[in-house]
Amino acid sequence: MSHEPLLDGMVGTKRDRTEPLLRAGNTNCGGCGMSVILQLLGRAAADHPLQLVIPACCGIVTAGPFPCSAYGAPVMAATFASAAAAATGLSWVAQLNDEKTRVCCFAGDGGTFDIGFATLSATAERNEDVLYICYDNEIYGNTGGQRSSATPLGASTTTTPTGKTVRKKDVLGIIAAHGVPYVATISLAHPEDAMRKLRYALNARGFRFLHVLAPCPTGWKSEPGDGIELVRLAVRSGLYPVYEVFDGDRAVVNVQSAQDDEALSRYFSLQGRFRRSQVDISSVRAEISRTWRRIAAWT
Amino acid sequence: MEVRLHGRGGQGGVTCAKILAATWSHLGMSVQAFGDYSGERSGAPVRAYLRVDSSPVVNRNKVYAPDHVLVLDHALCDAAAVLGLRPGGTLIVNTMEDPGALAERFPGYRTATVDATGIAREHGIGSRSVVIVNTTIAGAFARIMGLPFEALEAAFTAMHVERDLPAARAAWDAVRVHEAQGAPRAAPASAAAAPILDLVDHVVGAAPALRTGAWRSTRPVYQTRPAPCSTACPAGNDVVGFTRALATDGPEAASEILARTSPFASVCGRVCAGYCGHACNREAMDEAVNTRGIERWIGDHATIARADQPQTGRRAAVIGAGPAGISAAYQLARAGWRVDLLDAADRPGGLLRSGIPPWRLPREVLDREVDAVLAMGVHWQGGRRVGPAELPALAGEYDAVILATGQSKVMDLDVPGRELNGIEQGLEFLHDANLGLATQISGHVVVIGGGNTAMDCARSALRRGAAQVTVVYRRTRAEMPAIPEEVEEAEEEGVQFRFLRAPLGVYGSDLVGGVELAVMESNPNGGAPTMSEGRDWIACDSVILAIGQRADPATLLPEGWTIRHGQVHALETPLPVFATGDLATGEGTVAHAIGDGARIALQARAWFDECKPAGPRPKGVVRHSEMRFSYFDAIPRLPARKRPAAERVAHSTEVDLGIEDGREADRCMSCGHCTHCDTCLVYCPEGIILRAGDGYGVDLSQCKGCGVCARECPRASIQMVAE
Amino acid sequence: MSVQLLTANHAAAMAAASAGRANRTARGFGSGVYPITPQTECIEYLSGLEIERGKVVLVESEHSAMAVCMGFSLGGARSFTASSSNGLAYMAENVYAASAYRLPIVMMAVNRTLGPPWNIWVDHGDTLMLRDMGWVQVYCEDNQEVHDMLLAAFRLGEDPRVLLPVMVCQDAFVLSHTLMSTDVAEQPAVDAFLPPLQLPHRLDTRARTVGGLDFPHEAEVHRRQLHETMGRLPLVWKEVQAAFVETFGRTLPDPVVGYRLEDADVAIVCMGTTAATARVVVDQLRAEGINAGSLRVVMMRPFPGEALREALAHVAKVAVVDRDLSPGIGGILWTELCGTTGHPMAQGYIVGIGGGDVRPEHLARVVADLRGRSTAGQPLIVEVA
Repeated sequence: MSHEPLLDGMVGTKRDRTEPLLRAGNTNCGGCGMSVILQLLGRAAADHPLQLVIPACCGIVTAGPFPCSAYGAPVMAATFASAAAAATGLSWVAQLNDEKTRVCCFAGDGGTFDIGFATLSATAERNEDVLYICYDNEIYGNTGGQRSSATPLGASTTTTPTGKTVRKKDVLGIIAAHGVPYVATISLAHPEDAMRKLRYALNARGFRFLHVLAPCPTGWKSEPGDGIELVRLAVRSGLYPVYEVFDGDRAVVNVQSAQDDEALSRYFSLQGRFRRSQVDISSVRAEISRTWRRIAAWT
Repeated sequence: MEVRLHGRGGQGGVTCAKILAATWSHLGMSVQAFGDYSGERSGAPVRAYLRVDSSPVVNRNKVYAPDHVLVLDHALCDAAAVLGLRPGGTLIVNTMEDPGALAERFPGYRTATVDATGIAREHGIGSRSVVIVNTTIAGAFARIMGLPFEALEAAFTAMHVERDLPAARAAWDAVRVHEAQGAPRAAPASAAAAPILDLVDHVVGAAPALRTGAWRSTRPVYQTRPAPCSTACPAGNDVVGFTRALATDGPEAASEILARTSPFASVCGRVCAGYCGHACNREAMDEAVNTRGIERWIGDHATIARADQPQTGRRAAVIGAGPAGISAAYQLARAGWRVDLLDAADRPGGLLRSGIPPWRLPREVLDREVDAVLAMGVHWQGGRRVGPAELPALAGEYDAVILATGQSKVMDLDVPGRELNGIEQGLEFLHDANLGLATQISGHVVVIGGGNTAMDCARSALRRGAAQVTVVYRRTRAEMPAIPEEVEEAEEEGVQFRFLRAPLGVYGSDLVGGVELAVMESNPNGGAPTMSEGRDWIACDSVILAIGQRADPATLLPEGWTIRHGQVHALETPLPVFATGDLATGEGTVAHAIGDGARIALQARAWFDECKPAGPRPKGVVRHSEMRFSYFDAIPRLPARKRPAAERVAHSTEVDLGIEDGREADRCMSCGHCTHCDTCLVYCPEGIILRAGDGYGVDLSQCKGCGVCARECPRASIQMVAE
Repeated sequence: MSVQLLTANHAAAMAAASAGRANRTARGFGSGVYPITPQTECIEYLSGLEIERGKVVLVESEHSAMAVCMGFSLGGARSFTASSSNGLAYMAENVYAASAYRLPIVMMAVNRTLGPPWNIWVDHGDTLMLRDMGWVQVYCEDNQEVHDMLLAAFRLGEDPRVLLPVMVCQDAFVLSHTLMSTDVAEQPAVDAFLPPLQLPHRLDTRARTVGGLDFPHEAEVHRRQLHETMGRLPLVWKEVQAAFVETFGRTLPDPVVGYRLEDADVAIVCMGTTAATARVVVDQLRAEGINAGSLRVVMMRPFPGEALREALAHVAKVAVVDRDLSPGIGGILWTELCGTTGHPMAQGYIVGIGGGDVRPEHLARVVADLRGRSTAGQPLIVEVA
């Protein structure tokens, strides 16, 4: 059977959220991957009470100027490094008061891989009842596209004009190593799998971490309409493994990747950020193989 | 001099101000250029400012009373854009609009317009959805300000955008100006600002009032596009339509769709070459959908319900009860005509009955569909041979006469030995075999020809007692016009083939003893093969000729009558007499005949102003490269079930048993036809695609035009069109 | 009432815990804490205390400690943390955010010299670095005051007319680690004194973004609103003082506290424990026939400029003794006093930075220097060996 209708036809039905989590009139760029994951998150959460904690990043600019809010849920804007810690406080208030509120950090790669990393690690170590979603556009998008430790090997940014020469930080592996109940990568090109993981992560207790490759047409210098296809290619090429890890020791690969070179070249060719790269495709392939060997050892 | 620029994030407004500053700087002026920095993103309105002075520029405020306003996006050209613009100042806008029209909206200013978006797009600056117009419009602005182009060139070089100079030059040439007239309108009074709430007030945050639809340069349009299967179908069947209907609503609904175009689902589902399946986009993914099998399954499993039509009172005579004639009769009957169906044979069906063997098309299947047409009020008049003498009277008696007598003249072989006994025309052989007349044949039979008739002859010969059958064809196997499946089946049954052989003569004394063949050489360019010196011989006992047939209008039309575009003319006068099927087209297949019959029915009705004649084939067929195969799981094609070769030859039973069930229809990807799969709905980053009526609607006041919906639509039924 | 022998750190922890318990009928209490000398004891005690509907989260940095408190507070819980010195510097970003969000978090800050080079002893430079962050700041003189001020800080900060965080500062070791008799508030009294926290803008289930974008005009107005709230604060403080004395029978100091100032010709102005030493010196000078007085600045923010001006109007010469140094200008208290009172002869002295033990002779030297001057000059650093 073909995959239709998507998400079992829930959109617009009673099972859907009454009000979107990301409202129209937001200032995100057209085709923003972060917007897409917010739409999915809203659907997964349906009408369960949700509180978002968003650090300084594109995601908080999205909210719009005071007193507006482009988010259809309560949002606490945290300082750049503080999302996980602020969420810890909110989460405990909910627990102390027997409230069903799910507290969810929504942070970019800068706030997750870099400046917020210590806080994230500590929150994971304490196994706080927090869902942490990292929308990873692989750059500091809000400041105009500088490299972060999530920037992949070979990508040009404003601070690595000839392409990044070192590999991307494996943040998922690091968080999984904390032994938290659940970590997973989410592919926007696999909405059913994404929805299942979002729902699972929203319902689970303890610290849950979801990593979302979020296409950024502005930073990736790609067509705004190509975002989902880029994620698909990233999955197919093996660049972005779609998997989940339970309790830090049981890994499951959710989407088998052909790891094919054609998908990899197409992934590169659709994005301006790899055009000036001096990193050749074989070293990227070697990096991909290394990642998959590590995952294989885990499963 | 102060200039204010209005653009959108991503259009390069700030860079435009900097390029213009560099231009004046090159001319020795003191300049200042800067932009507004805010939280908004690609597509959001952004302002930039430019100051030029002969003495050093010291003021660092934004520009509130500009001498000139430059608008990079016509949607931003509103009262706010000209706010504070000094009377007589220049308003230059990126638009296709005429500067005079602009002047009417903004009196008191000198107006200038240029289609910078069009020029920039032509020069490939930016991406498909975000065209970057800054360098282009800079050319127009420089011209309006009377700057030398060389200064602009220097600025472009300094700013490393010299690649865009041709676009700037084009805009320089294209910009049009309208001098200021009248006085500017008073600026609208600004509303009093609302008091600012305290952060400790609990305010429920309303959605931002931003109308992001204004950011857009392209918008999504839902459209139903032709699927390749449907456009490939010579019968004009809505293949994607009946296939999807079977998958979603069952065989009755599917049959209803098929019935619009053809009375012969079961027949065509057996004997058609399957043009639809060969065009199927799914072939590029895994395997084509077995649409012919589906058509047959629908035909065999749906009841045939023919609703009574209101009668028009018109009458038609259809001469020739082959597929084209029956199709025409059927369509006219559906339109409420009374139809008499005349044929020399005593049962309707034409070649379907006399030319196609029952083991390919069981007679009960044929009769069921033919009878259903007759049951619609089509009056069968068998045994009526119509010739040039009778036709004029018929034309006077009926409102319209449809001629569908097919290709009545068979081609013959002009070689030495043709007169020997044991040489027979294939269609005659088949006629006798199919109608159960005595056609026992024995020994080694050579069939000459490569079409379906040749295959039917060869296989019939096997079933009628031949010990050995060899098909001789002058081209290669790949070039055979026969349906490949039929060739394979023939091979399975033991038919042998000699390719690249052309008959030179038949030898023997009285009786056929064998054929002499010339070895042909394939033409690499695809043209006719050429004869080589090589020779080949096959000893045989009989020869069947299946080398084609043609129409013979002379046996039907009176002197002076001709067929032009399907209509018969007496000299120059068009008559209500129409020709269809092989008689008119010579296409030679059942599907073509059905399609042409329906088309001629429409043409006849159009002659009486009942309807419009059939239009041209639709354009914009969905190509496989436009499909999103990733949305579909690979599923093996459901093949037709075949009886074992030995069994089918021995018992002359139907060879092909069709597909097992209708689930093959689930494999249809519905190219170009929205299935309400919700992909667009789920992926819209803004969440502004909504269910509307029978499909989806887009809130264009918010749509940013990103194109994710169109790019992700699994079946290419959304297209982005320029605003 | 129970009088116990406690260090100020211990007294602080007990005050925070009882304040936390007092909110058990509302949305509870939460604290994010991280150790740093000389504050560590406080959070050690706090972590060991039973707090109904309360949670102490042991985080990985001061920056996160304050972020956790912000989460607790914005969720509607009462919140407390403690820090010191470099911890405060590391926390600074969120210290600013807490007041910008108008969250009535209470922080016990132990004043310690900022490093490196490393120095764990008292000066006021750490908390004064944060004086522009929109927090109320009070500086304590003894253990009892640390305990009482913390209770009062919750009542003050959580008052619906205020809604600001409050920093209760105390001198490193001199108070933090010094055992003294402390009258510890009983829980019922604390329950009576601290009404359940009702944060009007707490994050509930309704859609809103706290801390999104402020364009220039909004930012200006929000900052002004915070400033105006500081202006209202002395009046609220009077009410808090009255309620405190009614509940506990003890008094809370005014924003400025004078000693023998009525007829003074010279006065020592200072903060924290130095004020106690100053009183000793005043008495000595009085005995010598010198009309000396002293003035303790209790509340640094909002700055009690008017009260200072009135209290010092008749004093000819004022020695402003700072236990901090802003390189390039001098003492911070001095500059602010000069700026707000316009006193004709306020001379700045810096005494005891880096933890030097400020003894009476140092202050006597200050007064002697001041009396010898006819006009005020550059600030003078009095070395404490």
